[in-house]
Amino acid sequence: MLLTFALWAYVAGMAGALVLQRAERLANVLGFGLAALGGVCGVVFSVSSLAAGRAVTIAPVTLWSGPIPDVRLVVEADALSCFFVLIVSLVGLAISVFSLGYARTYYGRKNVGVLAAVFNALLLVTTLVFIAGNLWMFLIAWELMALLAYGMVSFEHEDREARQAGVLYFIMSHLDAACILLGFLMLAQAAGDFSFASLRGIGAKLSPQQRDAAFMLFVIGFGIKAGAVPLHIWLPVAHPVAPSNISALMSGVLIKTGIYGLVRVCFEFLGPPPMWWGASLLAAGTVSAVLGVLYALMEHDLKRLLAYHSIENIGIILMGIGAALMFLHTGHAVLASLALIAGLYHTINHAVFKALLFLGAGAVLHATHTRNMEEMGGLAKRMRWTSLFFLVGAVAISALPPLNGFVSEWLTYQSLLQGFGTTTSLVRLMFPLGGAMLALTGALAAACFVKAFGITFLAQPRSDHARNAHEASLPVLIGQGVLTAACVFLGLFPTAFLKLLDPLTQQLTGHQLSQQLTLANGLVLSDATAQGGTVSTLGITLMAVYLLPVPLALWAMFGRKARTRIAPTWDCGQRGLTPQMEYTATGFSKPLRMIFKALFRPRREVQREYDFSPYFATTLRFESHMEEVFQTRFYRPVNLWLLRLSRRLRALQAGSLQAYLIYVFITLVALLLFAS
Amino acid sequence: MHPPTTLEISSQVIPLMATLMLVVQLLLIAQRMLLTNIRLFAIQSLLLSGIAAVVAFNYNASHVYVVAVLTFIGKVVFLPWLLNRLVHRIQIHQDVEPLLNAPSSMLICAALTLLGYSVTRPFTSLEKLGNNTLAIALALLLTGFFLMINRRKALTQVLALLTVENGVMLAAVALTTYGMPLVVELGIFFDVMVAVMVLGILVYRIRENFDSMDTGKLDQLKG
Repeated sequence: MLLTFALWAYVAGMAGALVLQRAERLANVLGFGLAALGGVCGVVFSVSSLAAGRAVTIAPVTLWSGPIPDVRLVVEADALSCFFVLIVSLVGLAISVFSLGYARTYYGRKNVGVLAAVFNALLLVTTLVFIAGNLWMFLIAWELMALLAYGMVSFEHEDREARQAGVLYFIMSHLDAACILLGFLMLAQAAGDFSFASLRGIGAKLSPQQRDAAFMLFVIGFGIKAGAVPLHIWLPVAHPVAPSNISALMSGVLIKTGIYGLVRVCFEFLGPPPMWWGASLLAAGTVSAVLGVLYALMEHDLKRLLAYHSIENIGIILMGIGAALMFLHTGHAVLASLALIAGLYHTINHAVFKALLFLGAGAVLHATHTRNMEEMGGLAKRMRWTSLFFLVGAVAISALPPLNGFVSEWLTYQSLLQGFGTTTSLVRLMFPLGGAMLALTGALAAACFVKAFGITFLAQPRSDHARNAHEASLPVLIGQGVLTAACVFLGLFPTAFLKLLDPLTQQLTGHQLSQQLTLANGLVLSDATAQGGTVSTLGITLMAVYLLPVPLALWAMFGRKARTRIAPTWDCGQRGLTPQMEYTATGFSKPLRMIFKALFRPRREVQREYDFSPYFATTLRFESHMEEVFQTRFYRPVNLWLLRLSRRLRALQAGSLQAYLIYVFITLVALLLFAS
Repeated sequence: MHPPTTLEISSQVIPLMATLMLVVQLLLIAQRMLLTNIRLFAIQSLLLSGIAAVVAFNYNASHVYVVAVLTFIGKVVFLPWLLNRLVHRIQIHQDVEPLLNAPSSMLICAALTLLGYSVTRPFTSLEKLGNNTLAIALALLLTGFFLMINRRKALTQVLALLTVENGVMLAAVALTTYGMPLVVELGIFFDVMVAVMVLGILVYRIRENFDSMDTGKLDQLKG
């Protein structure tokens, strides 16, 4: 009921914004207002049904049945659907509120009505992807989602970069849709029906080779959508160029549809998984996590940096899901539930904090008119609230206690550490290795966000734009505030949230874990084993609060005796500090660039002109490049090969009508001969 | 010996008319005069319209009458008139200039007709309207296609496309007693109408721009 209302709210928002596109203000308020309303309904719906522990919330409903048998659009909602509906509604709600203010920046410049309409449409089809009950519904919603997102990536189409990013996104979306379609057709052929209900456990009917092939297709298809390495190349290109609210939606929610698909297919449709499925997902996750964060470190474009972090976090989610599949293979259902919970918890966490960070980046972008961090700085004084929200998001994504990123990564660690004992084959080495890589990822992410926050918000402004920056409008701040609150809640009260995941793990692995994960009336989070670890984010926070008097007391006792002297910062003997002396983003990341030289292959060029001594240069030109390994080593050769092949095939295009007719004719005759 | 029923007569008449359609098709292939070609097409369409009328009469299928009437109006009267007018308006050379000469074209068409017969052999039991109709329909389709390849001028290619369409219609009538659903037939019919209109305009433009109707010159457009 509530969900229906939410969907109609999106439809109304879409229609209203389109109708009113001449009256920008009205279109903005109506479009994004209705989207926010839909978000509220979606959140209430999914939280209430998950809290009630219902396995099936909406039994399959046929929305539309076509003239041809089996062509039907069916929706249904089970626990897994509800969980993802929660993600899209919560993030959608916050972004809608944000957009109420943010869309004002487009007044008179772009069509705000279309922006609001497409935003609503995106929320609508994404929700439909999650509640699809048969293949028709799923694939149609999936394609619409890709199409609408393409429209948004190239929204600022005057910009060449945006157009190119749009095309790349379009191509990759087609590739992923093709793989998914093939995979689903393999399953549907075995089932003889297109409904999800008849696909459940259908993998058992396929031969092992067919199952493996289907699994590979799904991994490629959903992997492209999720942005897992090495299928990620579109993500850091496409996400930054979209309007910031759409970037937040894409990074927060849309890439999660890939995760949803993988979980749905691997845990429900394909049947008992062989070892290598989970192992390959774990490996892909590990590689994505480490490479994502390493590339993020080298980035000076704030939004691109965030986009690379999406790859990292998708990697962490995949580690949890891969580990869960491996545990299912070895028959450790409880551990599988733990790993799955870790993965899914990180899914919602990443949705929340990544959307928050993108919204913050959007506010900064609007204030400074640049995405280049080297031209920002000093914004903490000019945009107090935005910088506070961004800081919370940065702490959360760096997996520091007591915020939400820490909780889910801690759960991932625990499941990985216990994985070593589940099997005796050499595969078990992957668990500690993955854990170590996860630790490395966390540390690098923290370093990256020290850079992102420090260079962007601290020190002196590096450009006039940054100097003239001003705080964002109220709706923009409220939108970020909602997500900040969600970050804090998910971090401090994980045990309350874990209860919502019970019907989900019941559905996918047959176990409910929240009881075992909760100690001391929900104050302490445990890892479901007797001798395992425990942690309490709430405890850590309370401890920090309680211990606050200690340094104050120490200062009161001893500190007062010290003499206070106020003087300018030492400036090495120059006269006055200027922004040029500040630490740059490039400089900050240099040590890591040197350590990982083999990966980045940095190249730098320095040209210096001088009159009499190289120490007194008159002009200095400095350039530094990095090689994008996947681009140069994989995609470019493939691309070249394709182009060469196409050029050869072009001989077929003779330009003669007769020749074309003969092609058709020969094909027809050959088919007739073949058929008879 | 009882006098033959109408059903028996029609099962003789329909293959006869279908065969005549094929004969007309072969004449089309051999004939080099453009205006005669158009007239031959009109005759072929008249035969098709007759077959549809007989089928409609026999099986009491009123909507097949619609097909018969539409075929008559569209392909016997309107399209030949349109093409005739086009020929007069652009004043082209009357010779159709085929790529292959008549004897070799005939040989190829014989082979294609054989192919049509061999391919449709498994389906002969399905036919209600006599043994050969489906085979002839397929032969019409294939030879029509060949005709399209064998001609240079856009106008004659349009004509060939129309004979292909006659073959398709014949197959529709032959394979299923009552024809295809009316909607489908109407769809095909109007498709072809529109296609011919568009091609007519195109022919005019090609002529204007290239001073010729030879579609071979279109390869100058290639980038």
